[in-house]
Amino acid sequence: MGPARSSGVGSGNSGAYATEIAESLRFEEEIHSIVHPGLDSPPAAGGSFTALLGLPANQAVELLHETGPSEAPGSAAAPSPTGELWRLRLGEHAAGPLHLPLGCSPTFPSNVALVERAARFSVFAAEDSPALSSGGGPSPRLKAEPPDSDSPPTLLIPAEKTQRLAKRKECEKSKAKGPAKKSKSAEENTAAAAKETAAENTDGEKLPYVHVRARRGQATDSHSLAERARREKINARMKLLQELVPGCSKITGTALVLDEIINHVQSLQRQVEFLSMRLAAVNPRIDFGGLDSFLSAECGPLATANGRGGVALDPALWSSHPVTANGARWLPQPQIRHVDVWPTQQSSTAWTRDGAAHPHALLNPGAALFGYDPASSVSLNSNQLKTEL
Amino acid sequence: MKRGPKARPGTKWRTAAQERVYGRRLLEALRATAALGPRAVKEAADSALAFTARGRSRWSRAILLSPRRKARLLLRTGSKIRRGRRRARAAEAGGRLRGRLRVLRRLVPGCRKLSAGSLLEEAADYVAALEMQVKAMRALADALSAAPAAAAAAEPGSRGGV
Repeated sequence: MGPARSSGVGSGNSGAYATEIAESLRFEEEIHSIVHPGLDSPPAAGGSFTALLGLPANQAVELLHETGPSEAPGSAAAPSPTGELWRLRLGEHAAGPLHLPLGCSPTFPSNVALVERAARFSVFAAEDSPALSSGGGPSPRLKAEPPDSDSPPTLLIPAEKTQRLAKRKECEKSKAKGPAKKSKSAEENTAAAAKETAAENTDGEKLPYVHVRARRGQATDSHSLAERARREKINARMKLLQELVPGCSKITGTALVLDEIINHVQSLQRQVEFLSMRLAAVNPRIDFGGLDSFLSAECGPLATANGRGGVALDPALWSSHPVTANGARWLPQPQIRHVDVWPTQQSSTAWTRDGAAHPHALLNPGAALFGYDPASSVSLNSNQLKTEL
Repeated sequence: MKRGPKARPGTKWRTAAQERVYGRRLLEALRATAALGPRAVKEAADSALAFTARGRSRWSRAILLSPRRKARLLLRTGSKIRRGRRRARAAEAGGRLRGRLRVLRRLVPGCRKLSAGSLLEEAADYVAALEMQVKAMRALADALSAAPAAAAAAEPGSRGGV
């Protein structure tokens, strides 16, 4: 029963039912066309049958198999060609999927039954177990009928179809009403999810689905749902901001938190301004226009102090660097090009060479700030930076 | 536009690696500026920050794509900041959330027309980035202001040392 149900679910509800009706009717036509003209291409017909039936066919066969044993004694008791066919069918099924080349005409009645069964079970598979059990009601009736002859089944098909149709509609309605009566969560989820996606698309957000469940006593129309979803998104972002801004976690109330955030942003921007003033004040002294001169401001006196050998190389290294080859001054550019210029290895050697002779407080903050990445001093830089800050 | 799992701005901007990257860019930008003066420095620092953000956030794109205009805007917001405090208070009285959101929109670059949710998201990223910027600039300023003095102090030491 499980696989049958799953196949039905995959096909959908009423739409699939209509197609199944059509399919079953088509089967009828094929049956007629095949039976009456002759037994020309039974395997093809069988193949088309199986192809048309698809998955339900196998499951219908399985179901046949299940119901078969109950029928086998019955069919054995009342020997009829169809009864034998049932047994044959069972044998075939035991072997594997449907094989029709056994006999064409004998297989057709069973195929008809197969079709009905397949259609019925695939139809009923979409419904819940109560429906299935109710569908199981008519099925034994139908099982008893096909062994009779061909024509009654064909006539029965439309009748059964209408019965099934009515039953199915009832079941669908009841199923639809049931969840609706129990809770509105399904609708709300879909509506909310739809609203979420709509809102997400319009906002261009990157959040995944957020399922909003309406609480008791809250309005459930689409507008309030959308608003609620929007509010929840905003509250989530506010929480993020609260964690970021110090001292905001204690404040309750969106407006006050926003106030704090604004104050924080303003204070940060002011700090940036003041620091830029400080840097501007420091700049002319260091002469930021030239790398070598900048370094020489720190290493210059050291270079003169130390021997010519090691340290004197550094300005030479720096001057040979393509950066400073432009001259001691950067060309003013409308856009600041951020090019990684620092030769890490050279600088590291420069620093380490001087490091022995000079106070570490001077060099290490500089080195940490410049962000050299020699393997040895990566952690050192970060530590220095942290202690600085 | 789909993004993968996004790192939280608080964690993204506080890593030492990020500070190093920004420090490097900051230095390059400072070296590249011909104009001396606090405003040029600030512009350089802000564009360096926006560059370090790799244009993933709206405010960084706004800064990068139009440095001139945005620089002027930044200057204006710089002056507005001092005046804006009063305006913010006035907005407080007016509308609770709307007024504050308006102020926030003015503060965060490039977010004039964003919805509330996106604005808050950008603001989170911007706050984290600003904090890192302040850290780096303070370190640089301290190092640079300390350097000449240390260099001067180190002279006799180095002479004696080597």
